[in-house]
Amino acid sequence: MSLLEVENLSVKFKTNDGIVSAVNDVSFSMDAGKTLAIVGESGSGKSQTAFSILGLLAPNGLSTGSVKFDGQEILNAPLKELNKVRAEEIAIVFQDPMTSLNPYMRVSEQMAEVLIHHQGISKAEAFNQSVAMLDAVKIPDAKRRARLYPHEFSGGMRQRVMIAMSLLCRPKLLIADEPTTALDVTVQAQIMDLFSDIQKEFGMGVILITHDLGVVAGFCEDVLVLYGGRVMEQGPVDPVFENPSHPYTQGLLRAIPRIDQKSDVLDTIPGTPPNMLLPPKGCPFVARCKHADDICGDQLPDLCELTAGRLRACHQPMEKLV
Amino acid sequence: MLNLILKRLALAVPTILILIVCSFLLMHAAPGGPFTAERALTPEILANLEAKYGLDQPIYKQILIYIRNIVFDFDFGPSFIYKDRTVNEVLAQGFPITLTYGSIAFFFAVTIGVSLGVTAAIYQNSLLDYFAVGITIGAQVLPNFVMAPILVLVFTLLLGWLPGGGWDYSDPSYLIMPVIALATSFMASIARITRSSMLEVMNANHIRTARSKGLPTYHIVLRHALKPAMLPVISYLGPTFVTMITGSVVVDMFFSTGGMGLFFVNAALNRDYSVMMGITILVGILTIFFNLVVDLLYAWIDPKIRF
Repeated sequence: MSLLEVENLSVKFKTNDGIVSAVNDVSFSMDAGKTLAIVGESGSGKSQTAFSILGLLAPNGLSTGSVKFDGQEILNAPLKELNKVRAEEIAIVFQDPMTSLNPYMRVSEQMAEVLIHHQGISKAEAFNQSVAMLDAVKIPDAKRRARLYPHEFSGGMRQRVMIAMSLLCRPKLLIADEPTTALDVTVQAQIMDLFSDIQKEFGMGVILITHDLGVVAGFCEDVLVLYGGRVMEQGPVDPVFENPSHPYTQGLLRAIPRIDQKSDVLDTIPGTPPNMLLPPKGCPFVARCKHADDICGDQLPDLCELTAGRLRACHQPMEKLV
Repeated sequence: MLNLILKRLALAVPTILILIVCSFLLMHAAPGGPFTAERALTPEILANLEAKYGLDQPIYKQILIYIRNIVFDFDFGPSFIYKDRTVNEVLAQGFPITLTYGSIAFFFAVTIGVSLGVTAAIYQNSLLDYFAVGITIGAQVLPNFVMAPILVLVFTLLLGWLPGGGWDYSDPSYLIMPVIALATSFMASIARITRSSMLEVMNANHIRTARSKGLPTYHIVLRHALKPAMLPVISYLGPTFVTMITGSVVVDMFFSTGGMGLFFVNAALNRDYSVMMGITILVGILTIFFNLVVDLLYAWIDPKIRF
């Protein structure tokens, strides 16, 4: 049985301008201890997919479909049940460590309350375990620093605190929502190394949400490419990156500057993502796709199996895309 | 922290001096004087009176004498209108009354206002929210000069439960209507500020983090959201507390409480220079002090603020 099974997940937001369909019919599953990357550009629905799994959507958001964790349905589950899954089974690390920690509480308090609440242990014991976890994410002088406030940490250190906090209950699944986007490049590398280490050490599943394909290649086993809130392509990282089967994936990969190829112009994908207030009738990528023809604008492509374990949603045959 | 307190207290001295000089000049610039009456006094009597109170001196001298009397004798002068009383006596009678009903009204305005605001924010767009917002709007649009007579009408004339006015320190029933009349609109403002501030905080990223940690809602509200949500409320409460404990004309008038609010307005109307100055200085000192308290509370809540 898979650890996480997401079926036909859709997320809609009611806004004053109308209904925004942020995520449409996304399905995927992952096994325990695996690493899955969800990639796509800003607004493609990556983060909202993650938030809806844990019931963390904004109040105007509505999710439909099914999310099963360990066989138990958790999508739109009652808060009481959800609160048992949160932190204990599934933890999440957010994008912006500057604002995601509570600026008015000491780091030790923010961490200890997780343990006190979920495991009912004493304050002193919770403090000690928190310090041990800060140690584990390589925060020097953890015992003293635990008593500091978040603003007394650097960005990278704050993200380490976030990671330590998410690990406290030894969750089976960790969702990392663009954990390095707000950090500078050298710190990004350190944080990804840390993820890699703890993933091995704790043996947990990781969903990494990112738009950094380099990170995906180095860290993840499987990849899910989202565009306009829909799955464009899905499969193991290596074959997908070596031989992308969707024009959008191809475009993303081409847009990575490469040190081994001399080029004056950086490849980009022309155009902008679709307006999710008025999603296009056919393939969401149609307006920016150079291979598109009539059927692409009319009909939504189904997500079909390409080879074993690889799925793609494109009307055009593979041969045409080269 | 101590540094800040000392610095602020030191700064308070020139602030009060400027306040004294400005209000003194403004007051004397206003037409008329304490002895202007419908039946004009003869010039001789007027001159004698003005000489007695020192009003014949040049204005800068009057200010200097006034300040000297305060600094050395803590004497705010005699009242020009209440012939047998000094300003110190007027304030000693009026201020404790307004302080009493004002602080009790403040207590209720804050507790009820904050609870209403927090409840409304947490149950945003629910019936509870609409109910709380409805009460708030009702309380805000009902001015206290409408509210006060309605209260008297209902509780004194119709039901006969409460005394219609007057003041007795040993009988709390005299307190009830002044407190309600004074607290209502402040309670509404506090509830509104709390609600909007709480809504903002509940959408903050760190609250999402707290939710992701599987903490129960009451814990998130009390431990994570309340403190930051109180910041704008506290900056409103500082000056509001001063306003409330220095009394309200409407309350003092409708309930004949004998508080400072009525003295102040009467002093202004009758050009009772010394009483006006006395109350202005008192309000000034209280304002400075409670602004300092607000800053200290800010520092207590927000660890980023350190002095």
